[in-house]
Amino acid sequence: MSDPIGHILTASNLKFAYRVGANVLDGVDLNAAAGKVLCVLGSNGSGKTTLLGCLLGQLKPTAGRIELDGKAIKSYSPRQRAKLMAYVPQQPGTAFAFTSAEIILAGRLSHTGILGLTSRQDQEIARAAMEMTGTLDFADRMLDELSGGEAQCVMIARALAQQPSVMLLDEPTSHLDIANQLKIYKMMRRLADDWGMAIVCVSHDINLAARFADELVLMRDGRVVAGGTVEQVIDREILAETYGVQIDLIDVPGQTVPIVQAR
Amino acid sequence: MTPEIETFPGAVTGRKLLIWVAGLSLALIAVLLLCSLVGQHGLKSDIWRLRLCRGAAAAVVGISLAVAGLALQALLRNPLAEPYILGISSGAGVGVLCGLALATYLILPKWASSSMLAMIGGLTTAVIVYAIAHRRGKLDPYVLLLAGVMINVFNGALILVILQFTRPAEMINFIGWGMGKVPEWIWSQPALLIVSAAAVLLAWLAIFARGAAFNTLGLGDAVASSAGVSVGSLRIQTFVIVSLMTAMAVSLAGPIGFVGLIVPHVCRMLVGPDHRLLIIVSGFAGAMFLILADTLCRLIDLWTGLGELPVGVITAMSGGPFFIYLLRTRRGGGVQ
Repeated sequence: MSDPIGHILTASNLKFAYRVGANVLDGVDLNAAAGKVLCVLGSNGSGKTTLLGCLLGQLKPTAGRIELDGKAIKSYSPRQRAKLMAYVPQQPGTAFAFTSAEIILAGRLSHTGILGLTSRQDQEIARAAMEMTGTLDFADRMLDELSGGEAQCVMIARALAQQPSVMLLDEPTSHLDIANQLKIYKMMRRLADDWGMAIVCVSHDINLAARFADELVLMRDGRVVAGGTVEQVIDREILAETYGVQIDLIDVPGQTVPIVQAR
Repeated sequence: MTPEIETFPGAVTGRKLLIWVAGLSLALIAVLLLCSLVGQHGLKSDIWRLRLCRGAAAAVVGISLAVAGLALQALLRNPLAEPYILGISSGAGVGVLCGLALATYLILPKWASSSMLAMIGGLTTAVIVYAIAHRRGKLDPYVLLLAGVMINVFNGALILVILQFTRPAEMINFIGWGMGKVPEWIWSQPALLIVSAAAVLLAWLAIFARGAAFNTLGLGDAVASSAGVSVGSLRIQTFVIVSLMTAMAVSLAGPIGFVGLIVPHVCRMLVGPDHRLLIIVSGFAGAMFLILADTLCRLIDLWTGLGELPVGVITAMSGGPFFIYLLRTRRGGGVQ
């Protein structure tokens, strides 16, 4: 590891443009550390999804550098990369009628041999991932027979089966009710605390992010407006400027982080 | 076996797969042998050998069509995909017809047999479709589908134009090829049979090795890529293998419809959606289905004396209604 602080995924001065002269990302820095939850917040069109695309290796940045475990991300093959970094999409879904267990076992792909066969070890690791996410009970059910929250847990278990050091999540709670939103954020917290994983989560929910994240990155127009601890970023003026609305911060008894509300 | 480690029923282990391969191999050999006994003159050795060769050719074509269909459905994430949708069969038709039309004006070299011309026509079309759908190192599945549909229409028109300039006597030959038939002449060209069989087995294995990646591809390109699939090269490699398999099947037997559509669907209903298992089972099922359909053609000839029906008629007549039944009863036959 190159970084003494244990940053496993870093992006520095990242730029990206779909066409020349229109930067969607304009010099973004991001550092994700093992055992920490990092939430990326920002207005619509601020470049969060593009940033995720670059981190995943799907989009090629026009400038800047992304390093995974001390090496340039583009030097990894998809298989090598998958062993270090996993991804949970916004909306769970599969084109084929797979059961939850089959989807989670498919997370072992990068660890299998040339024929892609499932070993006993693969099944043990998948089982551990299912225990962690509480998905064992519906192992035999199809994804479309599950509730949104259950399906999202299956997708997290699938990512976990890759045994990654970093997990990227793209608005994982955007289709969920408040109970399930809470469940997913608590799960991310446990993955960081108990499994030592670096979590990078793109989110629209400032309050949940502020409550569960160690660090926040606030984006606007392809730039990082504020980044750092929750206290540094949850600031009335910064938030108001970023989202273009007036912001109230409401203190909640017994909680260190105030509730953010748009006026 | 340690009892405390439970296994998942859906897990495709090497052992499970070996049992399937062994069982289905035995079944295929049994079907091949049994069907070779059916027909006139029973067991006369030279006629038996002839029927055995024909059965083997049916197996080769059946494996090609079924596996190519399945791979294409996985690749395009579309349950209605079929090898001929790439335009390969219509391209092969143009090739054959060009040969027939030219033969009326000049003497063609010996290598320009109709199966060779079909191969050339089919692969040429595949390359054109590929070039249309290929952009920035990636194969766009929707453009691929549309390009296939368009090129089919174009080739259809081309066939009509060439037919206009073809003598009726030659037209009969084309119609014979165009109906789709398991080649009964294959016994006279054992080298072609062996080479085709070897090529199909290799292609089958190559598709099988991509089964786990197909499973992951169902979760979307982003998830598949993050899970370790090189999505772009998977699409390109699969397209090339599928094109070769289809072109070979069409060049041997002409266009035989529905095998590539029906067989994977039925297998999916029987063994589930895991492509690793499905690719194995579909290949065997395609082989057996086509051997049985071809045997039925011979039997109908034996009973009625009206001559042999093209096997494409049997597969379409059994496949079409069955497919509609599937569409009505199961949402796309197990595909969401």
